[in-house]
Amino acid sequence: MYPFDERTGRRRFLKVLGAAGAAAGAGTLPGCASFGSKEHELAKDAVAKARWGREAGAWIPSCCNMCGGQSGILVHVVDGVVEKIEPNHWNPNNYSNISSDFFDGYSEAYGCKEGGVICPKGNAGILQLYDPDRVKTPLKRRNPERVPGADPQWQEISWEQALDEIAGKMRALRDAGDAHQLLWISEDHSFTHIQDDFCKLFGTPNYGVHSNLCDVARKASFKVVMGHDRPLADFIQAKYILLFGWNPTSATKWIFLPRIITRAIERGARLVVIDPYLSDTAAKAHEWVPIRPATDGALALALGHVIVRDELYDREFVQKWTVGFDRYRDYIRDKTPEWAEAITSVPAATIERLARELAATKPALVDVWSGPGQHSNGVQGGRAIAMLNTLVGAWDRPGGMVIPDKRGEKHTEVEPDERAEHTLKQARFDELEKYPLGHKSGVYTRLFSNLAEGGGPYAAKMLMCIFQNPMMSVPGTPIVARALARLETVVVIDTMMSETAMMADYVLPGTVYLERYDLNSHWVTWPVLGLRQPVVKPLFGQPAEYEVVAALGRRLGLRDKSGKDFFRTGPLSGAPLEDLTAWYEDYLSNELKKGAPGITLEQLKSLPGAVWVDRGGTKYEKYAEPIPTGKLAVAWFDGDRRADGTAVYDRPKDRGGRRIGTVIGGVPVTGFATPSGKVEFFSAKLAEKKDALGRAVDPRPVYAPRDWQPSPEYPLFLINWKETSHTHTRTQNNPWLLDIKPENPLIVHPDTAARFRVADGDTVVVESPYGSVTARVATSRRMHPEVVGLQHGFGHWALGRQARGRGTSDAALRPATADPLSGMALHKETCVRLRRI
Amino acid sequence: MPANTLFEAKRETATVTEAHEGGPSVHEMSRRGLLDHLTKIGAGALAAAMSVGGALPAIARAQAAPASPRPTRRKFRYGMVIDTRRCVGCRACMVACKAENKTPPGVFYTVVFDHVIEPRIDDKPLFLTKPCFHCEHPPCVDVCPVSATYKREQDGIVVVDYDRCIGCRYCMTACPYSARWFDFDENYPAVEQETRYAEVPSPEYNQFRRRESGKSPVGNVRKCHFCMHLQDENGEYDKAAGRWPACAKTCTGKAIHFGDFLDPESEVSRLVRERVAIRLKEELGTEPNVFYLL
Repeated sequence: MYPFDERTGRRRFLKVLGAAGAAAGAGTLPGCASFGSKEHELAKDAVAKARWGREAGAWIPSCCNMCGGQSGILVHVVDGVVEKIEPNHWNPNNYSNISSDFFDGYSEAYGCKEGGVICPKGNAGILQLYDPDRVKTPLKRRNPERVPGADPQWQEISWEQALDEIAGKMRALRDAGDAHQLLWISEDHSFTHIQDDFCKLFGTPNYGVHSNLCDVARKASFKVVMGHDRPLADFIQAKYILLFGWNPTSATKWIFLPRIITRAIERGARLVVIDPYLSDTAAKAHEWVPIRPATDGALALALGHVIVRDELYDREFVQKWTVGFDRYRDYIRDKTPEWAEAITSVPAATIERLARELAATKPALVDVWSGPGQHSNGVQGGRAIAMLNTLVGAWDRPGGMVIPDKRGEKHTEVEPDERAEHTLKQARFDELEKYPLGHKSGVYTRLFSNLAEGGGPYAAKMLMCIFQNPMMSVPGTPIVARALARLETVVVIDTMMSETAMMADYVLPGTVYLERYDLNSHWVTWPVLGLRQPVVKPLFGQPAEYEVVAALGRRLGLRDKSGKDFFRTGPLSGAPLEDLTAWYEDYLSNELKKGAPGITLEQLKSLPGAVWVDRGGTKYEKYAEPIPTGKLAVAWFDGDRRADGTAVYDRPKDRGGRRIGTVIGGVPVTGFATPSGKVEFFSAKLAEKKDALGRAVDPRPVYAPRDWQPSPEYPLFLINWKETSHTHTRTQNNPWLLDIKPENPLIVHPDTAARFRVADGDTVVVESPYGSVTARVATSRRMHPEVVGLQHGFGHWALGRQARGRGTSDAALRPATADPLSGMALHKETCVRLRRI
Repeated sequence: MPANTLFEAKRETATVTEAHEGGPSVHEMSRRGLLDHLTKIGAGALAAAMSVGGALPAIARAQAAPASPRPTRRKFRYGMVIDTRRCVGCRACMVACKAENKTPPGVFYTVVFDHVIEPRIDDKPLFLTKPCFHCEHPPCVDVCPVSATYKREQDGIVVVDYDRCIGCRYCMTACPYSARWFDFDENYPAVEQETRYAEVPSPEYNQFRRRESGKSPVGNVRKCHFCMHLQDENGEYDKAAGRWPACAKTCTGKAIHFGDFLDPESEVSRLVRERVAIRLKEELGTEPNVFYLL
């Protein structure tokens, strides 16, 4: 029968005719050529609607964790099944990072005026939960050979056995006085406090989190310049937005970004994106400025040169609120647009024009993310970029770079016992202290290269790896593989059989965010705290990660200094709590009660959208706020009370005083959290430092070429980036996300493709001195001709059946190295050549 | 409608259908065979309009709500106004639609295009999402041999009666905008491998069908219905109650406006009145109820 296809097993023609006739009794004879379709009543199922419709079941407010963005979500759960995930209108993270915008038209009944939004990943969370490839039971490796590709010969074991054995290995380390030989790494937005507590009570200084694979270069740059490590761009009120190497409308770190950026453009802002690749954000920009990778700092210096040369800078701000301007001016005197053109490939005339636009349009802001940051000169380049905000007076002003008020939950630091204290004094295995602008998240590249090469301050024995996939996410896959092979015990907790899980001795099934708790203090400019809560029970009866941590702590009998049985005693109630979940709920209540919300977990659950939003809202120019009289009465001044720059403490410095401000313009004010209390063009503190390679650190925001430059043999820059379709290396088994982005072709400029005699669609070998991978070429003039690049996250050889064999991982093409100032992994410092196969 | 235009429309959608049958995803499709698709579906007018800035060619000037509503039982004229300046190409609409309607692999009630419309030195893409346009004169409806698909009088939504559809796909070839999809009985792993998600039915048309091989809508043609199941008994949507098309609800740039064109005070009516709005392939006389703002 012609309309039907036997192959796909569709029903038979006659059956349909019967059904159609019965259902409608329509006057039309089916099958006849009665062109012009008639309206009739459609069948409905009221019973099923009562069971499954929007009014059935419950809509539970929570927070997403498909990425680190922590958007608010509403989860429709029917009979224990997640039916749908929708945006949570009460959570500012889904709408705006500025309170005046969020509260404009806000109502308790509906939330923000236009309603919140969530990204494709947030919508696709259901398939992350119901992925058939999830790890379901604890697994123990039987094959002692730990190399990629080897069959681990998994043995399914019980949770009791798994926890007993893992605790046993930990106990052996601790009993031998080697607690510090336990390394522990985790994702940076989930249940980090309890892991930190565990490490301290156990006695290892080696807790690290994901951030050093992400943005610690940016953090370091801003921290040196103006004392805060994550100022947030007030896009919606800006009139000129200059972005260096950031793709915020697609690499949606926070989902309010697409709205506030497109809205800014609507309200007349000009958006300029500097990037080697015409990113999806650049596609929304008025102007895309292609740039040679890792030369952003030189461009920023030349922009500064023009602004200072033509005296277009915010003179009042610079005079009152900065130090070292003369040194900066001297340094940039010869950093002309012509100088920068040769370095950056951006025409001098463009630089002149951009500088004038930036300085003449108010309010203007300049922001940078990981594009320029993940190179060996990233921190200094970031400083030069951040400094432009100083020249245009953008700090903490509407439409500028706002310093967020991060008050949220309070993590009570544990006091370890004497034995733990002893091993905590050991150096960190990743030698973080050698990085003068290092971040507490550690230095993963150093950790793994030390393991692989037998370096580091001592021999580490055991790794706990929670919700991390260093085999693909740390530069230098072969080095990470060698590193893992040298450890005595590797434990991975993950929802999926990641490439790293395949190298482990024990794999424990993790929880998807819909199965567990967390507190999320959000990345908006005023205090907001959202709750993540289990909307369904863990599918396989597994304990959540924090319960695993507590269960291990109990097995080890970890006690704090006062002798309290930490993981059995409710931190808020002080009462013994046997049930692990109840204990953790008490732990969270404690953090909430002692933090800014001052409420319990149950109270947070009952707030609209399960999110606590401080009504005080966004505050600007906090640096100019006078120190309150009450505090001032008892304050201690480190010098002349009237002299500019005198530091102010809450009590004498030698009695443990905490700095609360600086005398500026004769008045004690909050100031900036830098050593001088002002924005620093020149960092006297940096001048005293050595970088991780033992070299003196330049106190000026200098441009120096990155270490690895293209050569005749490897003539192309290779970069990578993030897009909204996937998160890192962990969502490539999600079919809905694969529908919108099934692989990551290598984007090559057509001229470059011609030079290497490759064509669109060809499979090529991408070679560096460190390795080679294959990739499919997609030619596009969206790419700088000297550069090739791809979206990060693909190229799995594990993870799940959908993910395997799709696209390319470029992690094997580079060594495991970090920027010597901040410890930032150098994901983008790679040079390659292409070879057709 | 001039016969030759219809023929052309048929021919180009046939190309698309072939691409679907091969099973590649939309993105692969867009990269491969459909490079010119956007121009074909009429976004050429959009490109032309954009290239001349504010001055709009007469052909692209779209009409707002019809001057005189038809004297029928028509209560609403539902439609969308999609702001291309706000669309960031994130494709949240595509996934939210899947989550709402539980469509199988290869079926997308809306598709986001990122084609290079206007050849430039830098291959800058233009993002836009393309649901069913619920045309005032839908060519797809006219060709249905079994009266399975029709345009509802009360609100203009073009629906498919899965109990009648024989899967002949005439409508797919007739649609000038490639807005119809055939359900080939493919399933996502979470459904195929009997996780609890396999229990969840699709709320489409308030029929709440649980997916089962050999049963509708497998073997039927499927399309966007503006999440019609979210209407109340009066045929009205309620944004505050979350009863609003899933794509519009999640849209990260707030680019998708939904509403009733018969209500002159509705957001969609106002936008079409006040902004430069165009419809695709205006020349076919289909009168889409989805407008694009430039």
